[in-house]
Amino acid sequence: MNALVIRNLVIAKGQRRLVDGVSLTLAKGSTLGIIGESGSGKSLTALAITNLLPDGLSISSTSTIEIDGVALPTHDAHAMRALRGAKIAMVFQDPMACLNPFMRIGTQIDEILAKGVLPRTARTTRIVELLREVDLPDPATLARRYPHELSGGQQQRVMLAMALAGEPDLLIADEPTSALDASVQAEIVALLARLQARRQMAMLIITHDLAVAGALAHDLAVMRAGQIVETGPAQAILNAPQHPYTARLVAARRTLVSEPSDAAHAGHLLVEVTDVAVDYAGRGLFGRPFRAVQGASLRLERGRTLGLLGESGSGKSTLASAVAGLRPIAEGRIRLLGHEMRPGGPALPQALRRRCQVVFQNPHGALNPRLSIARALGEPLGLAGIPHREHAARINAVLRDVGLEAEHAARFPHQLSGGQRQRVCIARALLCEPDVLVCDEVVSALDMTVQVQILQLLKELQKKRGFGMLFIGHDIDVVRWISDEVLVMNKGRIVDRCAAHELGATASRDAYTQRLMAARLSPLAA
Amino acid sequence: MKFLANAGFDLGRMLIQALGIVVIVFLLARVVPGDVVDLKAIEGDLSASQQQEMRTELGLDQPLIVQFGQWSWRALHGDFGDSIRFGRPVGGMVRTALPVTLVFAGLSFVLALVLAIGIAVGAVMTGSRVLRSLVEIVNIWSIALPTFCIGVVGILIFSVWLHWLPVVGSMLLPILIIGIDGAGQIVKPLYEELREAATSTHVRTAHAKGLSPWRITVRHLLPTAVPVALALSGLVLAGLIAGTLTMEVLFGLPGLGSLMLNAIQGRDYPVIQAAILVTAIGLVVVNALTDLLHRMIDPRLSR
Repeated sequence: MNALVIRNLVIAKGQRRLVDGVSLTLAKGSTLGIIGESGSGKSLTALAITNLLPDGLSISSTSTIEIDGVALPTHDAHAMRALRGAKIAMVFQDPMACLNPFMRIGTQIDEILAKGVLPRTARTTRIVELLREVDLPDPATLARRYPHELSGGQQQRVMLAMALAGEPDLLIADEPTSALDASVQAEIVALLARLQARRQMAMLIITHDLAVAGALAHDLAVMRAGQIVETGPAQAILNAPQHPYTARLVAARRTLVSEPSDAAHAGHLLVEVTDVAVDYAGRGLFGRPFRAVQGASLRLERGRTLGLLGESGSGKSTLASAVAGLRPIAEGRIRLLGHEMRPGGPALPQALRRRCQVVFQNPHGALNPRLSIARALGEPLGLAGIPHREHAARINAVLRDVGLEAEHAARFPHQLSGGQRQRVCIARALLCEPDVLVCDEVVSALDMTVQVQILQLLKELQKKRGFGMLFIGHDIDVVRWISDEVLVMNKGRIVDRCAAHELGATASRDAYTQRLMAARLSPLAA
Repeated sequence: MKFLANAGFDLGRMLIQALGIVVIVFLLARVVPGDVVDLKAIEGDLSASQQQEMRTELGLDQPLIVQFGQWSWRALHGDFGDSIRFGRPVGGMVRTALPVTLVFAGLSFVLALVLAIGIAVGAVMTGSRVLRSLVEIVNIWSIALPTFCIGVVGILIFSVWLHWLPVVGSMLLPILIIGIDGAGQIVKPLYEELREAATSTHVRTAHAKGLSPWRITVRHLLPTAVPVALALSGLVLAGLIAGTLTMEVLFGLPGLGSLMLNAIQGRDYPVIQAAILVTAIGLVVVNALTDLLHRMIDPRLSR
């Protein structure tokens, strides 16, 4: 018996088919993973099952979706409402945004229970049971809390408890762990697997992360550009992908878990940070400043890459912006390219700023949407005093360096893909001929295959040009792959430092590093 | 503790605001050429010495700072003096006028909120063309048509031609006019905010939970619009001050507005000052209440 059967699903926006003829079956009590990169139509497929597609998108009349052998009443809003939250439950990405900030946790779960016949007192008991089932401590107190008082992992557990409240036969989880820190991610994945096995629900996991899919799914469907290119048992697909696209996805992930190729030789010292502390101003009149970084020291040499690894809120980005002279420091000193920065001291001189460049996480926000690529790249050249007639040649050269064509110069940011935009940001940084390149989560917003391309590009450029790189990231595999030395940050302090290849040698590492390494999901370790 | 500190800080800020308003009005009233004695002189043909005597008696020959000091000292003790023109205690005059204005302004404000929220929520929930046009119409109405113009036209149609309402003293028409005007100022931004909120992630979660559209609107959609609605209400309240003043005069309602206008025309300083003081305190209190309400409704601000 199948819990879910989708036949020839077509979702169109006007004439454009975003999902084009997808057929899937999900057996009762098993887990199906849909993997694919952004824009592949995997989330739309999930939303179609609950009939929650955004306005303007429509399901073709030839498509059928069956739940437990019964066709979905897509045109009967009332019947659909009865199904949602009961037979079909959904968990989304970013639990903070998914929970209603104005309502207590318990009340939000109660909204589902209240659709049933349970009296109020029984519902209160049931809420506590549900919260306990998702391993939340002290459920009775927690039920009276508001979402903002919970951590990201706890919020996602609450979302799960809410989904379970309707005793669903089918649980759809759309990128359930993508917005969470690595260690939390592993806990949620383990919890999902446990719940699915215990309740024998059918589960549909939508994810871009092969590790998550590998850990949860029995079967996999690989989506690309609205179509399914490959289906089969999860381990078979991950170990021996048939379709070239799947092979590329798997290879990208493998590249990262492979050992870093060669340790770069040490050059002369570019950055020296000694016992630096960074404060954020307190809120309100009498607010005390918040110390985001405390007692941080590091050294970066020419041609080497220093990885800063940490979870959100660990202070890694703050430290990096202090190094780049973008944020004043409260204690200690930073020596950057021979210039010393001290608390309350003068800011970084203009000329040095140019030689220390920063590339940010979100390439869309970092490019002015009204400037063509050529003009965006012309700005640093103009500042450096390079005559206008030389601009075009330089821009073309740097575009080639980052793997783009000369024709891209005439385009605007919105006409480029995410990966291409990040290449432009890197090109812009390179035009200043930097000695130090600060990369703040430069690949986190990109698809896995693109991530690997960008990382390889950075490494190649570094070899060619010899700049020192400060690479900030939360993904252990990414940071380990690109760095020569890794610093692990936790709660504003550097808790561990070692050569990149020694990260795996768990015994000699700090307890926090060990926890991070243990939380790593690696379905492709083979 | 933090809550108390915040409340104390707000209270101090409000008192300073109220004091500022009172000082400015005190000065403005005296910058206007001619005082009450000049006016009486024109009416009653007073001699120069009589005028001088009267000024001394009223304390108008004192330096401004002394006048202000004396007035505020007495005001602090609840004594607002007597009206110069009518000789009656100012406190009593304000006390009779205040309820009229409170009822008038309060009902107009409630009407404005009910209309604006009703139209905006209806338009977002149903997506109906009629309601969406209504958002635009009410909005343009309040921008394009000043309340006093509508007031005059309203009197002409309903009182003079149709004889449905008395020319003077009826509160119905002014409440409708001010209410619609206030609704027009907030309905459009409120509608846009709600439409934005309707596509937000937590509203999608509510849909995924299979809740009824009504519950989604009341419990999940509306709270999201609270900050905007409150900020806009502040705007409307400020507009009410001007609105009620002109409407009271136009429709002959014996409220604070009429009292103030008569006092200004007669240079009746004690009455002007008392009326403005009451209005200023009222405004400041209402602002504080909206802040407090915002903090109570949004749990993220309560700590």
